[in-house]
Amino acid sequence: MATARTPTTSSDGATIIGESVHIRGQLNGGEDLHVLGRVEGRVDLERTLVVAQSGIVKAEVSVKNAVISGVVVGNIHASESVEITREGRMVGDIFSPRIIIVDGASFRGNVDMGDIANMPARKPSAERPRPTPVARPAAPVAPARPAVTAKPGAKPALAPAAKAPEKPAERAPEKAPEKAPEPTRPATVTPLEPPAAKGLPQKAQKTRVIVKRK
Amino acid sequence: MANTVIGNTIVIDGEISGDEDLTIRGTVKGKIALSASLIVENSGTVEADIETKNVEVSGNVTGNITSTERVELKSDGRMVGDIKAPRILIADGAVFKGNVDMER
Repeated sequence: MATARTPTTSSDGATIIGESVHIRGQLNGGEDLHVLGRVEGRVDLERTLVVAQSGIVKAEVSVKNAVISGVVVGNIHASESVEITREGRMVGDIFSPRIIIVDGASFRGNVDMGDIANMPARKPSAERPRPTPVARPAAPVAPARPAVTAKPGAKPALAPAAKAPEKPAERAPEKAPEKAPEPTRPATVTPLEPPAAKGLPQKAQKTRVIVKRK
Repeated sequence: MANTVIGNTIVIDGEISGDEDLTIRGTVKGKIALSASLIVENSGTVEADIETKNVEVSGNVTGNITSTERVELKSDGRMVGDIKAPRILIADGAVFKGNVDMER
């Protein structure tokens, strides 16, 4: 009976903690762990910890990779990466060379990516443990996020691999506003100034601003 | 259905409780309390006091089992500890040392 049931639930070396299951204590292992229930205490894994949406982990976590779609309270030390998906909520500190916090995720705590100065440039093809395309779509905040991850170069480098088609579309409007003000300024100024003043559009602008303030 | 599985390489030291079936292929020490079935597979090792509805042992169990329905020691199961359950099955080949109590 047991053998008939088990293959459908977990084929190979993946451990699943079901929704109604509550573990308190220490958990060590060398395989992936999916938490759909609750785990409290300590988790040490040589592989990936996946906290599903229904999962709650209140523990000191030490893993290779972590993917959080549920709730984590506690510190995470990851030797490779930590990803908080759109559904993920976390309170605690993260120590990991790669940290991905997706739009919609909620996180409170410190982020430590290690020695940032000596960090090698990342390739766009960097192996993500599991790309979660579902969590990506709501990424308009992506440009703002590097501030959170403390490494501006990281996000753009990773993102194109995951969603190449959408990214350029987002960035285009972002850059546009930066350039737009410069052409528009002279445009608004020129009607007021004689053509000879075109060489000094900036001065003309300044005076206008002062007038506005008064 | 998301059955709970403790994989081969997993070691849990502590307490497990829940309302669903639990399959153990790794190691669990401490305490297990379930309102469903516990299955200890060949590769599984349990050093814990167990309180469940059903227990099926094909691996190693050290500790006392209290079951509300049934405890089955399969032919490759090894168990040291006391069993308290209304129905207890011990298959040919199973290794068992302990006390049996079938009182209801």
